[in-house]
This record gives sequence, C-alpha cells and structure tokens, in this order.
Amino acid sequence: MAVEIPKEKWSGTVREVTLGATREQGGTRTRTLTVGGETAMPHHAFEGSFPHPPALALEVRDRKPTDWSPLLLQAWGAAMDDPAAWAKAAEQAGAELIFLTLSATLADGKANTAANARAVVRKVLEATGLPLAVIGPGQAEIDNELIVAAAEEGKGERLLIGTCEDKNYRTIVAGALANDHVVQSKTPMDVNLSKQLVILIHDMGLPLERIIMDPTTGALGYGIEYGYSVMERLRLAALQGDSMTQQPLIVTPGEEGWKVKEAKVGEGVPAAWGDWNRRALNWEALTANALIYAGADIIVLRHPETLRRLRGVVDALMAA
Amino acid sequence: MANHKVTLLPANQTVEVPTGSLVAEAIQRAGLDIAQPCGGQGRCGRCAVFVKGDGARRRSTLRLSAEDIESGFALACQTVIEGDLTVSIPDQERIERRLVTDKTAKSIEVPFPYDQNLQGVRAFRVYLPEPSFQDNKDDLTRLEIALAGAGYPEAEVPLALVRRLGSVVRESDWSPWVVLEAETWNRPHGPARLIDIATDPIEPVALAIDIGTTTVSAYLVDLITGEVLGSSAEYNGQIHCGEDVISRIIYAGRDGGLAELSHRVRETIAELLVRLEKRTGVSPDHIYKATVAGNTTMAHLFLGLPPTSIRLAPFIPTVNMPVPIMAHDIDLGINPLASVDCLPGVASYVGSDITAGVLACGLSETGQLTLFIDVGTNGEIVLGTHDWQVTCACSAGPAFEGAGVVNGMRATEGAIEEVWVNSGTFEPTWRVIGGGKPRGLCGSGLISLLAELFVTGVIDRGGNVKLDLDTPRVRQGDHGPEYVIAWAGETSTGGDITLTKVDVDNLLRAKAAIFAGFSVLATSVGVRLEDVQQVLVGGSFGKYINVEKAIQIGLLPDLPWDRFKFLGNTAILGTYRALLSRDERDRLRHIARGMTYLELSADNSFYDAFTAALFLPHTEIARFPSVASIWEREAGLTPAGGAA
Repeated sequence: MAVEIPKEKWSGTVREVTLGATREQGGTRTRTLTVGGETAMPHHAFEGSFPHPPALALEVRDRKPTDWSPLLLQAWGAAMDDPAAWAKAAEQAGAELIFLTLSATLADGKANTAANARAVVRKVLEATGLPLAVIGPGQAEIDNELIVAAAEEGKGERLLIGTCEDKNYRTIVAGALANDHVVQSKTPMDVNLSKQLVILIHDMGLPLERIIMDPTTGALGYGIEYGYSVMERLRLAALQGDSMTQQPLIVTPGEEGWKVKEAKVGEGVPAAWGDWNRRALNWEALTANALIYAGADIIVLRHPETLRRLRGVVDALMAA
Repeated sequence: MANHKVTLLPANQTVEVPTGSLVAEAIQRAGLDIAQPCGGQGRCGRCAVFVKGDGARRRSTLRLSAEDIESGFALACQTVIEGDLTVSIPDQERIERRLVTDKTAKSIEVPFPYDQNLQGVRAFRVYLPEPSFQDNKDDLTRLEIALAGAGYPEAEVPLALVRRLGSVVRESDWSPWVVLEAETWNRPHGPARLIDIATDPIEPVALAIDIGTTTVSAYLVDLITGEVLGSSAEYNGQIHCGEDVISRIIYAGRDGGLAELSHRVRETIAELLVRLEKRTGVSPDHIYKATVAGNTTMAHLFLGLPPTSIRLAPFIPTVNMPVPIMAHDIDLGINPLASVDCLPGVASYVGSDITAGVLACGLSETGQLTLFIDVGTNGEIVLGTHDWQVTCACSAGPAFEGAGVVNGMRATEGAIEEVWVNSGTFEPTWRVIGGGKPRGLCGSGLISLLAELFVTGVIDRGGNVKLDLDTPRVRQGDHGPEYVIAWAGETSTGGDITLTKVDVDNLLRAKAAIFAGFSVLATSVGVRLEDVQQVLVGGSFGKYINVEKAIQIGLLPDLPWDRFKFLGNTAILGTYRALLSRDERDRLRHIARGMTYLELSADNSFYDAFTAALFLPHTEIARFPSVASIWEREAGLTPAGGAA
C-alpha cells in the first residue's frame, strides 16, 4: 500500500532580497545575490520551493585583525594585509558575498575614520565583482560615522550595511534610504525583538525588500540551541503569514565559532581534544551547518576550508 | 463662493466666512481664543463647541459621545461650515467633563448605609455604683458588672487600663467613658475587650491603611458616622532599600534588614498620622482600630515576618490570613490597645490589596465578565464574574506611581496629570493638579505624555527619542536622549521637566508587564480580551486617567471607552469597606479563599507576551485597531506589524 506523506501547507513566504547591483542596475557588480523566497520550513523540499540556495559569505577586515586565531592567519596569509587582496582571495575561495567588517580603530590605535572607510570600500569594490556587505565595529557613534561614509561611497551598489540595533538604527537606515542599500537588522535572540526592529526600520520608509535579519546565534556548545529555536520560530511565524518576520536571515558562525576556546586555543588543552586545526574547522563548520538547517539564508564564515566543506552541504541539500 | 454668517457666543460677535471654512477658523477670524493643544487634528477634543443651525458638517467626532453630538456638540477643528450657524464656546472645564475618554475617580463617600453596630468598636458611658462600707467590691469588679449590664459580660480588661482604672472612675464621678471591641472576625461572639477608659467623652476613630510597595495611603475614619475624616498618602520609606518586592525581600535577608524595613514602613505611617492629626485634630491615641491591606511581602514586613520563602519556589508565604494583633505588638503609633486587622491575601504575589480591590470594585458580585487591573508596583490582575475569579501578579515597577522616573512625582499638587503635544510644532500643553506651575509628572501625566510623544512621532514605536526632529524640545541630556515638557522658567522647581529615554524604558516595561499579565491570564481561561464587558482600573495615580491614552501606549486593551471605569486606589477603598462592616470583612475572606491564582513565573508564555508588549502600542498593532488608525493618520504612513 502506498503511504502518503502528510504535507504542511503554509500561507506565507520569505521575502526575496537582492544584494549588489550590476552596471545596468546602477552599480558596478558583475554578479548579484538574491536570497529568501522559501515557502516551507528549511529544506522541506517536498513541501515547498527554495528558489535560492543558502549563500556563503566570507568575512574580510579593513585591516589585519589582531585577535584572530593563528590558524586563520595561516589560511589567508599575506592577503590579510590588504583588504582588496583579501576580498579577491575570498572570491577565489568561492564566496558569494564579501562581508567587510570595519575596525573601531586604525593601525595607530586612533579611532577609525570616515575617510578610511570610504577608501577601503572603494578598494574592495574595485578588487571584486561580488556584492558587498559593510558592517561597523558595533559602537553606535563610530558605526554611524563609518557606515554613512561607506553608504555614500558605495551609492547605487546595493550594499548590505549595518549593524542596525534597536537603540541605534536611524542613521544607518537613513544612509540606506539615501544611497539605495539594504540593511542588516540585528537583535539579541528574541522573536519579538527581531520583529520590532524590522517594524522600526520599515516605519522610516525603507521597503521590506531591503531588510535582512540577524537573529544573533551562538556557537556549538555555547547556546546554539537557543539561537536555533529563535530562528525556527521566526521562520514558522513567517510561513504563517506574519509579515514582519518574513525577512531572510543572516548568521555569523565564523565569528562565533572562532571565538570559543576550543577553536582559539591550541596549547594547554587536554590531549583528548585532538588536532587543533581539525577541531577548529569542525567547530566553525558544524555551527554553520546547524544554522543552515535552522533556515539561515546568508552564512558568514571566516575560514576558506569551511566554505569549501559547506558548499558540499548546500549542494547536497539543494539536490535532494 | 457663498459666505455664511457665524454668530459666536457668549461674546455675541458675528463673522462672515466662505463655505468650507472650519468653525475653528471662524472663531479665530473673530479674534477669539479656542484651545487646540493637538494642533487642530481632532485628536484632543479640547475644542468642543456647541453649534446651532443646519450649517455644520462634522468631519470627525472622536471623543464626543452620541448624546453630546445629538445635543449639538462638535469639534471646532473638525467641523466644516456650510450655512449660517450659531456657535457657543463653553469654558474649558465644562468641555473636559464631557470627554468620554477622561475618567475621574469618584470622591470618597460612605459606601453603604452605615451604622456603628456594623463593626466591633463601641464607645459609650458606663455608670458604676459608688462604693461604700456596705458595698466594698473592688473597682474592677464594679466595672465588670457595669459592662455586663451593658451587654458585655466577661469583658477583658487589660492591665494597662486596670492601672488607670482607680483614678479614672473617681475623677469621672463613677461614670467613665469606655471604648471596647465587642468582636473581631476570628472571635465573632466576643468576649469583648476593653480598649480605653476616660473621664471625657470619646469619639472613636479608626484607620484604614494600604501599604503599597511604592505608596502608603491612609484614611482616618469616624466610627460614629462612617465618614472619612481625612486621607493622606506618602511614598513608602522602604523605597531606599529597593524598588520592588523582590529587592525588599533580599534586603530583609541581610543582617538587621527585616527590622529596618519594618521600622521604615512604621515611620511612613507615623508621618501620615502626624499629617492626619494636623488636618483633623484627631489624636492618634483615639484611633481604636486599624485595618491594613498590602501585598503579601508588605504585610510580612509590616508584621515583622521574614519574607524569604515568598521569593523561593514554590513561593509559599508564612501567612496569607493573619489574625488580629494589638497595635503595641508592632509599635504602630495609634492607641496601643487597638486591634490591627491585616486583611487576607491569596498567595505570595496576590495579597490583601487585591482581595480588598475586588471587594471595592464589585467584581465578585457582577454577572458581567470583568477585568480588574490594579496598576501598582506590582500589577495585579483579576478576571472573572461572581462565579469565578482568576488572578495573577506581575512586577511592573514603580513608574506609574511617579517613582523611578527622573521628573516623576505622586499625584499631588504641582503634578502634570494630562498632556497634549501639538503634532506640527511638538509644543506641549499640560494640565497641572491644583492649577499652579508644574513640579513634575504623576502616573496619569506620564501615560498621557508617552502616548502623545508616540502619536506625534517624537518617539518611535520602540520608545527611542528622535533626536533628528526640528525642535529644541528633543535633545541629548545628562541621562541620554530626552524630551523637555516644561522649561525651567515655567516650573516651580526652577529646573526643566523632562522625560528621558530611561524613563520611557521604565514606563514601557511597566505597561508591558501589565498587558502581558492580563493577556496570559485571559488566554489561560480561554477568554478573548474583546469579550470582556467591563474593565475596572485601580491604582494610585490619583483621581484621573485618560483611557484613550492608556490604550495608545498599550497599557489597557483596545476596547470601547465606555467599558472602562477608573476607581482610584481600590485597595484602600476595599480596606475602608472591610473596616466599616463585618459582613464586608466576611465577604473579603470568601473572596480570598475563592480566587484561583496563576503563577506567571511557572508560565512560559509570559516572557514572550512581555517582550511582544515592549513596543508602542504592541508588536502586533492589529491588536490595537483604534491606535493603528490614529497613528497612521498622524505619522502619514501605514503602520507595519501584525499578521498580514
């Protein structure tokens, strides 16, 4: 006897958001990236459609970071000394989006400047044809100064800019409105807070097709379950038709995975932990893998090898 | 274009205006003043006028009742002139009384036909036979015989009174005045207990006290007439040891903490007694009974009981239903032999303030589905009818009592209690209790200001002050972004009165806790908020609340305004009733026993409901359709949120 598998029917759809603009669209990108559009719970291909695979991004800094794991420094080598070279290397490694993070300070220890932000954005835009995200260091005043400058410099490129948070979003949203960009809306692991910030940003007049949500997640072993369940609930709400939760989700397992002791530290840990490099890569990859299952649309990574592995996961999921 | 003649009363001026002009424009053309604090948006209702003639077309009548419209009222800013008209402009006070959104608590009156015998304290004169060589019984026996003759056999006479007995009976010529307590709820058949004995007539007085976490209120009650002789309220002196019950419980656990907290609340009550004595001339010594309500923690601290277990799962207090004690047991500054009756509570977080509130608001006697909300530091909520009642408590914080807010104050003279903000200029107009210069904002003023700032777009739906607005009233202050409601030159303090971002956050948390409380409560019994037939609001915001604005900030559910009733401080009103009558006291005991308590901390949905409510008016604006429509019009854009 044939068994019929029960299928869930949903009324809502995740919004499609496009990053990057080609020459015809007013920018200079050679490729654009569209995410979202899902009509069912993550990868339930038998219940709905998934027009765009989860996108894999690599994080690039405006200057060589001082607090990254030596394993990452090894992986990127000299490319890290120049954001343009780094972005190019990331493109070669298979990234679909360059996720450029601006530092709070310059190499001399002084506060980062708008002029520097402009110069770096210009360089990276010229080095690669990929769509670009430009994210501030996470301190309201510096973020506003740097991101507004970056937004102006990248006018028409349909950048993803951020970070918009509930206490500091107006300046960045105004920058996106004026220069035709998309914003990243980040809230601390709560369905209602995610939704509220989307409402606030939308209330300023930014179309919902230009907002991507970062629900905040944790690394494997460091609260990933909580982040996972918030993402799951956001997606359930979106599919049930709750308009303000229908934004694509961006997650940063690269940053989170490489923050934990297991990935960061190679010495003075129990021998049973095994090979450091293998462990660290597994940590980033497994964290990212879980978030893909939770419904992530853009996954920001740090290690090129992790990206290679996840490419396999994504291809397999989309083929299923 | 045709012109029309408009006659303005009482000035008796006539102006001619073209068809399509607004009544407000005609009034201004005549050089007359009309209040339009909202900027002519039809939002505040303050420009209501009385029109006669067929030439008026009302574009909007928000805030006027059907009867008012029927009798000729119209909003000057929303009424178009299409023919000849007579317009009379009433004085401002008369308008405010007509507005259906404005709810004022009734003044205190004796709640039922009172008779001294409804309660236990009696004062009367006794006549003792004079002793002689033939009749050599002792003084006490002589008094006992006289009391038995008056209907009080076996009355107890405490040693403190026996000590004075000899001199008082002789000085009073063997006819002293006595005060006795014939019964208490736990000794309904006596025996009676003597409280005082004196040479002069005594008019017995009692005290009703509501010990709130933030505010302590007291009524001085004449036991002969049942009337309230005076009332007074003051911030609870325990505030210095923590703002909410949890921090007080923690404080009580410190070395000497419990004794300090007990002492501080007695000091606050002592201060109220001094004030009441000044106002009424009644000495605290003549207070022969005290009835006390308070949340369970406050009751424990008042009685000197360690409250520790209230905070620890499964949240069990030492006592929910204390028996009467004597004033000297707890050093309460009234007659030391007076009995002190602490009213019964339900559970650790639903105390006698709420059972007394239920008694006062009549929820336990109505067939209508009623939601009763006591807006205090602990927001307590009761839902039900005479057949059933469920209750829960949520920690709201003291913001609505004007505490924990930079320019907050109690609802007394000098407090701004109502605010309008002009949507074009962002300039405020306010009303101050007592009519003088403002000193700060009370709870109703804070609700009103928050609503106005939200509706006019000075703050966003998350409560952030929009510093990019073109007005000096928004600025970066010492406590972060803020809105200046009154400049230093306009206030009685000589400083600016502001509402800061931190204040806004406190208010948002307070209203979110209360809204989450009643939404979870309603869901738990399968009731939709829309089905609630009446909403009774209590709290110590003073005498006034604007329900429309309380709905706009999402403190109250979006129901028709006529379903709301504002009752003032229901805890003390219920205490007053229980003090006046043994039947009411009994009813209160039944209420306490019959209520079902829902522990929100054991309910997963509360936190979710809380964060959803941490927004103006709520994350799901679809739950506030009336607010959505106003906001849409004011902000000039479609509000986002809610299910598509």
